[in-house]
Amino acid sequence: MSAKQKQTEEELLNEVTSSEYKYGFTTDIESDTIPKGLSEEVVRIISAKKNEPEWMLDYRLKAYKAWLEMEEPEWANIKYTKPNYQEIIYYSAPKQKPVLDSLDDLDPEMKKMFDKLGISIDEQNKLANVAVDIVMDSVSVATSFKETLAEKGIIFCPISDAIQEHPELVKKYLGTVVPARDNFFSALNSAVFSDGSFCYIPKGVKCPMELSTYFRINEAGTGQFERTLLIADEGSQVSYLEGCTAPMRDENQLHAAVVELIAMDDADIKYSTVQNWYPGNAEGVGGVFNFVTKRGICYKNAKISWTQVETGSAITWKYPSCILKGDNSIGEFFSVAVTNNFQQADTGTKMIHLGKNTKSTIIAKGISAGNSNGNYRGLVRITKGATNSRNFSQCDSLLMGDKCGSHTFPYIEVKNNSSKVEHEATTSKIGEDQIFYCNQRGIGTEEAIALIVNGYCKDVLSQLPMEFAVEAKKLLEISLEGSVG
Amino acid sequence: MGLIENIKSFSIIENLSAEKNGLFQSFLANGFPTIKQEDWKYTSLKKIVANDFSVEGNGVTVSEEDIKKYSLGLQHKIVFCGGNLISKPSIDGVSISAFSEFESQNKDAISVLNSSLAKKGFTIKIAKNTVVENPIEILFFTSTKQDNFVQYRNNIDVGENSQIKFVERIQNLSDSKCFVNHFTQINIRKNAKVEYNKIQDNNENAILIDNMNLYQQQDSSVIVNTLIFGGAFTRNNLNFEQNGSNCDSNMNGISILDNNQFADNHTFMDHKQPHCRSNEMYKGIYLGDSKGVFNGKIMVRPDAQKIDAFQSNNNLLLSENATIDSKPQLEIYADDVKCSHGCTIGQLDDDALFYMRSRGIREKEAKAVLTYAFASEAVNNFTIAEVKKLAQKRIAEKLHVDLDFNL
Repeated sequence: MSAKQKQTEEELLNEVTSSEYKYGFTTDIESDTIPKGLSEEVVRIISAKKNEPEWMLDYRLKAYKAWLEMEEPEWANIKYTKPNYQEIIYYSAPKQKPVLDSLDDLDPEMKKMFDKLGISIDEQNKLANVAVDIVMDSVSVATSFKETLAEKGIIFCPISDAIQEHPELVKKYLGTVVPARDNFFSALNSAVFSDGSFCYIPKGVKCPMELSTYFRINEAGTGQFERTLLIADEGSQVSYLEGCTAPMRDENQLHAAVVELIAMDDADIKYSTVQNWYPGNAEGVGGVFNFVTKRGICYKNAKISWTQVETGSAITWKYPSCILKGDNSIGEFFSVAVTNNFQQADTGTKMIHLGKNTKSTIIAKGISAGNSNGNYRGLVRITKGATNSRNFSQCDSLLMGDKCGSHTFPYIEVKNNSSKVEHEATTSKIGEDQIFYCNQRGIGTEEAIALIVNGYCKDVLSQLPMEFAVEAKKLLEISLEGSVG
Repeated sequence: MGLIENIKSFSIIENLSAEKNGLFQSFLANGFPTIKQEDWKYTSLKKIVANDFSVEGNGVTVSEEDIKKYSLGLQHKIVFCGGNLISKPSIDGVSISAFSEFESQNKDAISVLNSSLAKKGFTIKIAKNTVVENPIEILFFTSTKQDNFVQYRNNIDVGENSQIKFVERIQNLSDSKCFVNHFTQINIRKNAKVEYNKIQDNNENAILIDNMNLYQQQDSSVIVNTLIFGGAFTRNNLNFEQNGSNCDSNMNGISILDNNQFADNHTFMDHKQPHCRSNEMYKGIYLGDSKGVFNGKIMVRPDAQKIDAFQSNNNLLLSENATIDSKPQLEIYADDVKCSHGCTIGQLDDDALFYMRSRGIREKEAKAVLTYAFASEAVNNFTIAEVKKLAQKRIAEKLHVDLDFNL
């Protein structure tokens, strides 16, 4: 390698590590917060603020008691100072809660923020044909297209509204896929979650538009604990998008969400996430701790597809999973996880095959740059009764720079002899010959890398809905523009 | 009484030195590993250690017939009986003696137990520039009336530019249970070449935990072949450490299990220096109610650039109740590397079976041919003809066919 080439490489590397987080602004919106700390009292206050029925309070208190007995998991390959759970504010809501029918009345500050984020809750949405539910700090602030959806019988609203308006549905399904005792963070979430999205697609209905939730942490010192419950009844179809950003702050903010998907017989759910929480600065100060539990259950012939593009968060601990309970059900997981600077990601999926002829596909692409560490951790479990089931997993990692790390921890458990499981993983860097090939044909090193990375992630990006694919591509470019070859 | 109590009473008689006692106490602090530990997640010792094993029982004799029966008939033989060295070959440049003290870095409970109490085994030193053409066969025989727990501790030092091959076998001659905690450490100096074959074909009362550490210096090359055919419970911990550049490490494994057999292969490939290679191939064939575990980890340390590491684990589940848990792992801290692993679990190809049956080959034979073809990728890597032959013979026996695979 020539000295000059080396120099450009170094320049490029610096550029990557200095790429700024563009969503790091804060918005001055008056908010209603409760004192920091967690106790039974706080759980009761949250429940009271939401005017929740008795059963919901019981659910929370049970979860809180379970949480007290649990220990924070340490098995993941990540290093961080454990958050002090008594220093976190568990409830923060923008004081002015806009009414959906009159978006013009929206707080101008909030409107400005949405514009900055590139989400418009009115006109543009009509063009883009996306219904959005926006969750800021702990509370859902706006949901669009509620009425259009209602005509089809689709319920799409903040989960706190759903608890009031559709208690029978919430009561029936909440905690059935991710029980409160499932893990430390799900227990915490179950105790203190303040809002999130609820969605119900009735039998045989194909949702006419993409549903979307946009999460934003705004207030300092708060944790965000949202809860998403998505139920696709028999034969229905839905595509759901999720995006998230947070301001730049020197402290670590905690985000512990729970997402539950239920795909009844013949239903089809596609869940896409572009996760862009604040990753901390180039020295690794600040950033969001993203400890999320996502899981879906598939009944007969149902399908759940998780697609995620992970570029943000100081620490990611996230394993979107599928329980393939019904015969012939399908689970899919497509992921691109980019880590830069001092970010750490421990992410992957679990595919639990219970039904016959169940199929799962896992495509995980990791890209590590700077001083970061990326981990793929996945489980494929074929139980005794899962005859003729099939799994294919591929996890590839791309390393950029000599200080980053990339790790793969797949667990494969097979108890059925008519099933086929294939797993492959590779770790490498962008080949000098590939770059050379592009250079030779007049493509600059930086473009060549963009080209190669894009090609590398194509399998996953092509799974994203249009609107998101564009955003994801842009995000990748920002995170990695110009890297070593 | 459980094993741990018996070991405790044994340790009191042994009158351990302060240092050894420290080690022993650290073992006692946590006892035998449980499935709560990540490395033992799929492998439970609970039932085994509940047995009332006597510790280090002795007083056995081994007949010429036994030696003949279990040996591959190689020219050089080292024979142990009840842990005592009873015969050894004399080879120029190779010194073979009984156990002598050495330290090991392993911190896991099983290895610590071995280093605190084991007093049997061999020490082999190969002088510089020694090329031993014929492989050396190492046979350990145990035979006691009672269920017995024994520990062997072996050390091999291979000098610069030397070349040597070993074939090892542990054989239980009695009907009582025998639990062997086997620990072998091999230092491979510059430009040395070593091949180590483990034939794990013990009887159905045998329990084996085999720990092997290999420390490689610059330009050295190592092959370890693990053949698991017998034994009730087998756990192999195979740890490679490359401490110099341009090292080659190769692992080939073949397991064919039936009935209630259990085998667990744990491998750890530690790439510490640049410009090294490793290649790992484990094939598992599971019949009856057998259970297999594979855990392979490739670690590339920072600055160990230009590493080429490959690992594959292929498994055939040929019966309804056989299970496999596999955990291939990559942990990479250097960027200019090529590392990959592949893992498959499946069955024989129906189309291939149909093709053969339509040409008049019976189902059992057709299955055996395909199964052998599956294993042959690893078997063909065995350089010692006798080892290869044994593998072929045992595969045919396990599949209950009378075929000669030696084409």
